[in-house]
Order: sequence, then C-alpha cells, then structure tokens
Amino acid sequence: MAQAALKRGRIDARAEALAGYGLIAIPMVFFLALSIGTFVYAAYISVWDWNIRSGPEAFVGLHNFQKLLSDPVFIAAIGNTLYYTVIWVPLTMAAGLFLAVIVNQKIRGQTFFRAAYYFPAIASSAAITTIWIFLASPDGLFNGIRGAIGLNPLFALFGYAPDHNWIGNYRTALQSVILLNAWTTSGTFMLFYLASLQSISREVYEAAAIDGANAWQAFWHVTFPLLRPAHFFVATVGVIGGLQLWDQAFIAGGPNGDPANSLMTIVLYLYNALFIQIDPGYAAAVGMVLFAIIFSATLLQRRIFGGGPA
Amino acid sequence: MNESIDRAPLPGARGRRLRRGVAYALLIGYAVITCIPFGWTIITSFKTLPDSTQLTLVPDPFTLEAWDFALNHLQPSVVVLFLNSAVIAAVITLTNVLLGATAGYAFARLRFPGRDLLFLAVLATLMIPDQLRLVPVYILFSGVGLTAGFGQYVAVVLVGIVSASSIFLLRQYFLTIPVDLEEAARIDGAGFITTFWRVILPLAMPAVAAVAILSFQGSWNGLFWPAVFLSSDQSHWTLPLGLTQFRLAGGLATNWPPLMATVVIATVPIIVLYVFFQRYFVEGVAASGVKG
Repeated sequence: MAQAALKRGRIDARAEALAGYGLIAIPMVFFLALSIGTFVYAAYISVWDWNIRSGPEAFVGLHNFQKLLSDPVFIAAIGNTLYYTVIWVPLTMAAGLFLAVIVNQKIRGQTFFRAAYYFPAIASSAAITTIWIFLASPDGLFNGIRGAIGLNPLFALFGYAPDHNWIGNYRTALQSVILLNAWTTSGTFMLFYLASLQSISREVYEAAAIDGANAWQAFWHVTFPLLRPAHFFVATVGVIGGLQLWDQAFIAGGPNGDPANSLMTIVLYLYNALFIQIDPGYAAAVGMVLFAIIFSATLLQRRIFGGGPA
Repeated sequence: MNESIDRAPLPGARGRRLRRGVAYALLIGYAVITCIPFGWTIITSFKTLPDSTQLTLVPDPFTLEAWDFALNHLQPSVVVLFLNSAVIAAVITLTNVLLGATAGYAFARLRFPGRDLLFLAVLATLMIPDQLRLVPVYILFSGVGLTAGFGQYVAVVLVGIVSASSIFLLRQYFLTIPVDLEEAARIDGAGFITTFWRVILPLAMPAVAAVAILSFQGSWNGLFWPAVFLSSDQSHWTLPLGLTQFRLAGGLATNWPPLMATVVIATVPIIVLYVFFQRYFVEGVAASGVKG
C-alpha cells in the first residue's frame, strides 16, 4: 500500500513537471529566440560586413566599431543621450518623489490627485510629443502665456526671442524634450515612490517627532534614507529608459534628430544605421555599444546606492 | 475670521493648518498644470488654423472643420489607423494575459527541475534593452518573410507577445493565493490545468486586469516596433505611427487643428480605459515597481 502511494506520488510529480514545462514552453521559446538569443546574434552580426538580404559577406573584426567611434554624429548621439539621462533622471526622480510625498499626506481626494498626476503618463508618446511641439511652437501657448504675463524681458536676458521655437531650435530642442519627459514620467515615478512610502511605519515618524524633528528634518533624515531601495529601483529604471531615448527625438526631429542633430540619440543612430544606411553589421555594433553603456551605468548605480533589492 | 481659533493659537495646529493649505495649493496647482495641455488640445481641435495661434479659450469661429479633416480626409484614413492599432493591441493584450498567466502559474506553483533558473532567465530579459534587439530581430524576421505584407502585423505582435513583467506580475500574485485552495481542488480529483483554470485564475482577476491594462496601454501607444515593421506600407500604420508621419511629412506638420483632433482620437480610448480602470493602471505600475 505504501509502495502504491509512493508510486502515485512519483507519477504525480512527473505529471506536475510535464504540466510545468508545457505551460512555460511558448513564452520560453520566445524569450530564448527573441530576447536572450538575439543578444548573442547581435554580437555575432556586429563583426561582419552584413548584407540585409543575403547575410554575412566578409568578416571585418572590430572595423564596424572603429568606424562608429570615428563618426562625429555618433559622438554627438552619445553626448546628447548622456546629457539627457544625466539631467532627466534626477529631475524626474525629484519631481516624482515630491508628488509622492504631497499625495501621501493625509488629504482629501488622495485618489483623485494620484490619478491626475499619473494621467500624462497614459497617453502615447506620439500624442503627447505632438501636443508639446504645438505648445512650444513660435506662436504656441507657452510663448503666448509668457508674453501675456510680461516675462519676455526676462527671457530676452537669456537671448530668447518672443517667438522662440523651443523644439525647433538646436539650442533648446533637447532641453524641451527633457522637460516634456520629466512631466510625463514623474507620474510613473510617483507611483513607484508611493508604494515604498506607504510601507514606512508611522512609528518611525512618531519617534522622530519625539526627538523634536520638524517635518523637513524628518523627511531628510528619516524618509529619504529609508527610501534607498526605491531610489535604486527608480534610478535604474530611469537610466535604462533614458539611455534608450528614441520616441520623442524621432517624432520631433525625424530620423536625423533635427535641428542640426541636436536630437540625435544612440537609438536613433541605431535605427538610421539599419534603415537609412542599410548596414546591419554597423547597426549591430551600435547596439553593442549601447548595451555596454547601459550595463556599465547599471553597475555604477549599484555601487552608488550600495546595492538595492536583489 | 474665526475669533475663537485666532485667540487660542495652538502653535502646532496653526502650523498644521498652514502646511495643509500649502499642500492643497500645490496639489491643485500641479493638477491644473497637468490638465492644461490636454484642455488646450481639445479647444484647438475646434478652432481654425489662424485662430489656433491665438491665446483664446473659446474658438472663434467654432468649427468642426478640423474634425471633418481628421475623420474623413487623412491619408491613410483614421479608421484604418484606428483598426490597425485596435487589432494589434487586442492580440498583444490577449497573448500577454494568456501566456503570462500560464507561465506565471507554472513558475509560482508547479515543481519541475530548472524552474528557478528558467525564471531567472525570464527576469534577465528585463535587463536587455528592447531596442538592442532591433538588428537581429529584423534580420531574423525578414528571413522568414515577416517584413512584408500581412507578415508585418505578425512581426509587431511577435515582438510583444509576452513580456517578462507580465509573467512576473502574475507569478507574484499567484504566490499570495493560499495553497489550501488548490489542494482541496486536487483532492476532488482536478488536474493541474483544471485547477489553474477553475480555481486559481478566477482568484487572480485583479492581477489579470492589471496585466491586461498595462499590455493594452503599451501596445496601443507603442511607436518603435510599428515604425520598424509597418512604416513601408501606409495601410498598416497604427495611430501613433500615423500621427508621427503626419507630423513629419509636410501637409499636417503645422496644421494644428486637424493634428490636435487626431491626437484626441488617438488618446480617447486610453482615457476611457483610465477613467473606468484607474485602479488597475495604478496598481499595475506600483506592483511592477515593488520588486524582490
């Protein structure tokens, strides 16, 4: 009898394993083929002169990488992408944390405000960027309002004409995109921070209040350090997203990141290498450089934040 | 105003009231800033082109010309764009829920050799930048005829068929469901698949809804992969791709009112979803943020 039960158990375990493999089979095939596998394939393609129709033509070693690093447009793309990431991530983190803290107060309408602040993040990049281009155009709402409330002399000090084209001018195009994305993404970061804020126990604040800390001190000495895992997560997600900037640059500046390559990003360069220069080997090399940058950035953050949640 | 309060100034209470006032001012002020661009978009869609550059809240004259243009005269038609977007988003949502739930269940509950390693592999794909896949995926797909004709749709769907975060989110939710429920079903003679379908999945509806909403939003709004695979054939464009092309290609580039009407059309479905399922949007994002 015991043997029968044991046997049944073994059959059960086998059936369970089979069911398990069956259920994960399709997703795993796609993950292996279209994600992990592609990474290896991209590395392989990057060392070839590759024809988009007929495949590999000649092994060129690191030639694609050499060519890449000697192209001033690619250097500009790296510069723009890093500049964007370095400004956009802290700005959006600060805005998201700020929103999370004020929404987390004991206030009426908390759900409403939370929903309102996340709202810009739900629209498509195409829609929101088009709106932004319109608002920032020479006779758009932004210029109209600053004229109407008499801010033009202030802007003139910085050399901006009353009809400055914010996204269409190479001096301000990237900054405008930074602001746009800080505005849309701060709602998402707010939600990330809120989840962590709500897990901080009341007792910690009561203890801080007994020690005579005011709200400001409590925030900087209690809340902010306790949010370290959240900082790490948000910063990591932000940097990985920021280094992949493409949508807004393409919508506003087209494939060349106009004006004057001011919106040229690494991913836009990658896209052009494949679809305009039609050079897959070269494009794959761009991808590998992007991966190297993202990978080092993530490692660097791990050091800065002293490791986050596993 | 209220003397009794003024005469007895509890410093703490006063400070709290002041803080509260400042907090509300900030909250409402920022909510207004957030709404202005959308409000302005809707107002502009009822204006004429010369009027669209004026700083006026009421269209003068009020006109439906822009809407007529957006609905009837876009090339390709906005109906085509809408249908393409809807079908692609619906299919990707369905596959993410289905494959995400089945794989999530297997990773959460079933015991099989290599499970944890395979799950780690799934999580590792979160670290591979999506666009890094561009060259290999494009070459792979063009080799099997997915870069022309109907295959273009298939290509866009395949790239988004199931995301690691869909699997992750559902797995985490399944882990919170008490094992007793499943054991009860098993003792009644139900197999793994029946248990999953009849017992577990109905209990996981909040997570299923969150994954469905996030997948729909992502694919409805997506621009990169549609631009990669669908650009060459106008009749395959999605709303975001069409909007981008109209923006870039002369004609509508600065013809603001019809462009804004198209923006409204592209955004309304998501807004409707958001109004009804706000909770799932918010919880889905929050859940994907609480890792480990």
